[in-house]
Amino acid sequence: MGLRRDAGRLGAAMFAPALLYIVALVGTPLVLAFLYSVGNVKVGSVGYEFVGLDNFISVLQSPTFRGALLHSFLFTVGAQLIVIISANILALALVDRFRGRGLVRFFILLPWVAPISLGAIGWKWILDSIYSVINWVLVQLHLVEPFDAPMWLGEGALAMLSVIMVHAWRMLPFSTVILLAGLTAIPKDIPEAAAVDGAGFWRTHFQITIPMMTPIINVAVLFGVVFTFTDMTVVYILTRGGPYNSTQVLPSLAFFTGILGGDLAEGAAISVFLVPILVVIAWLMLRLARRAEVV
Amino acid sequence: MSKKKRSKSSTISRRDFVKAAGVAAAGVGTSVAFPLGGGAQERKTLKILQWSHFVPGYDKWFDGEFCTAWGEKNNTEVIVDHISLGEINARAAAEVAAQQGHDLLMFLSPPAAYEDQVIDHGEIYQELEGTWGKPIDLGYKSTYNPKTGKYFAFSDSYVPDPANYRQDLWSQVGFPNGPDSWEDLHKGAKAIKEQFGNPCGVGLSQELDSNMALRGLLWAHGGAVQDEEGAVVINSPGTLEALKYMRKLYEDAQTAEVLTWDPSSNNRGMLAGKLSFACNAISITRTAEKQNPEMSEKIQLAPALMGPVRRIAAEHVMDCYVIWNFADNKAGAKQFLVDYIGDFANAFKASEFYNFPCFPQTVPNMDELIANDPAAKPPDKYKVLGTVLDWATNIGYPGFASAAIDEVFNTFVVPTMFATVARGQATPEEAAATAEKEVKRIFDKWK
Repeated sequence: MGLRRDAGRLGAAMFAPALLYIVALVGTPLVLAFLYSVGNVKVGSVGYEFVGLDNFISVLQSPTFRGALLHSFLFTVGAQLIVIISANILALALVDRFRGRGLVRFFILLPWVAPISLGAIGWKWILDSIYSVINWVLVQLHLVEPFDAPMWLGEGALAMLSVIMVHAWRMLPFSTVILLAGLTAIPKDIPEAAAVDGAGFWRTHFQITIPMMTPIINVAVLFGVVFTFTDMTVVYILTRGGPYNSTQVLPSLAFFTGILGGDLAEGAAISVFLVPILVVIAWLMLRLARRAEVV
Repeated sequence: MSKKKRSKSSTISRRDFVKAAGVAAAGVGTSVAFPLGGGAQERKTLKILQWSHFVPGYDKWFDGEFCTAWGEKNNTEVIVDHISLGEINARAAAEVAAQQGHDLLMFLSPPAAYEDQVIDHGEIYQELEGTWGKPIDLGYKSTYNPKTGKYFAFSDSYVPDPANYRQDLWSQVGFPNGPDSWEDLHKGAKAIKEQFGNPCGVGLSQELDSNMALRGLLWAHGGAVQDEEGAVVINSPGTLEALKYMRKLYEDAQTAEVLTWDPSSNNRGMLAGKLSFACNAISITRTAEKQNPEMSEKIQLAPALMGPVRRIAAEHVMDCYVIWNFADNKAGAKQFLVDYIGDFANAFKASEFYNFPCFPQTVPNMDELIANDPAAKPPDKYKVLGTVLDWATNIGYPGFASAAIDEVFNTFVVPTMFATVARGQATPEEAAATAEKEVKRIFDKWK
């Protein structure tokens, strides 16, 4: 009995740091964000006054906010489409043993383990208006004129494509590792039986492998969606929301409005605007994760 | 990440003692405006946060010479933390949230939103006026709130934002002294792009330099974000003229490059020999002198361009120190600012003429200095900055800096308005109406 009580205390003691961490660094800021979003808090204000939904009504009148909302969806859906297709291909390529597989896996994981700010700065130079290595190659091949090279971050559509591609580059390793784990969990006798029955690669892949991996693919997609919806690093470093707000997303707009602009309440309202959607996504994620465990 | 430098002496050698005694002796006779308190033996601390200056030599002088001497004279350990300019606002917000941090924090734009969190800096101005005269209007309008009668910051200096042009290119299209007006800029830049391919570089991005350059263009054509009383007037005939001009300039003389920029991009564009023109502080020419002497001879400076209504430009950077209400050493911070202004002649030289004084009498021989700079080619390259007070103004022109103006600035309403017209995404009338709606929404929040 005493041993069980001691074990219970030990368990609570070991769980406490994690709980404290979550409450202090996730729970408290989240509660503050909600409080700020219905208050009149500015960076320099003292005190707090409840203003109801005024901040939400105010941001909804802003064309910049409406644009950022649209761009957030475009950014997320675009990046996740690229990530999930590419991760599937990579996972298939990496599941079999081959010489140098460890090294290839290491290189593929690099974008995920390196700080995103470093990676984004690297891409900023790759896409730079003067020193872009891509443009240098295009000019050397006489495909474009020196003063007429593509401005990857200066055209609305190209800039959005650029931030989507860079974010996909960043998220790809994470999804690849998840899908690789799912792929290796499929019992080998199932595809072998399909091969004996005469099923080719494509038929096996689309009618056996992908259906069996659906729960784990969902987990990868949902994690990716949450990470992408809430990310501002790539946009902030590459375009700062430009040109003319065509890559502005909700997290970057929240930062510009709340921290640089000084209106913390409106910044908070922008940042929590997606919370209801993200809550539904998180609920789905947990539900599907449970199904994945069963698989 | 901040760089931290301390001027301290935990153990005092005989040499240190003699040196300190010398500094103390030098300080005899200078008044102490703000009694620092504490007993004679009590050593105080003064914590300062400011940007890593564009001119490294300035930080060397500030940290290593001025702060060290001031700390020894005032029995104070002076700790100077440096951060990059992009991190200042986030750091200030964090200090206010925590109600602790530095005694002195320097912003690079008027921090009106923090008015409730800072002391009234009026007494520092009053103390200095007796010795150095009144501050310039630009400093006054950047730090004073006429509605509350409070000085929410103290400005020691500002950075001019002249025109930078490639003399070798402009000479070949009939403008040996560069463009004098916005109309000259269009004519000359168009000819240069057609003949040599070099585009013009008036920024249209969501960054500092574009924000400044486009305000100059707006004001020169008679437009403004607000009037003298702080009423929103951005949707005006003057604004429409400025927008039409920008469309013309972009189509004839620029490329989409100007929509991709960060604050250092126009520097790189000029130094790489690509751009024919840019609006920027003297960072371009100073960098050229150190890194690309050949290009340095080609890049010359001109005053703000003349528009149909006036010749005007925004200051490029406005140094604004604040002393928090929660600062531990308010008296020390005030005295530090008073003494710093007293030594501003050295600050001006250490900044390589980057920082211009808000109290001009502190640098009485400024015209002589800027007309004979041995590093410049020709030596009188910076002489044009002698007229800066005739054309430089504050961000809220013709009104005062305010929290609303600051949010309009930091959410890039003006560059977005110009960029949408330049790219043909909106007509001038549509862009001005959209900007007006957004500016009014922001102003309503801060009433």
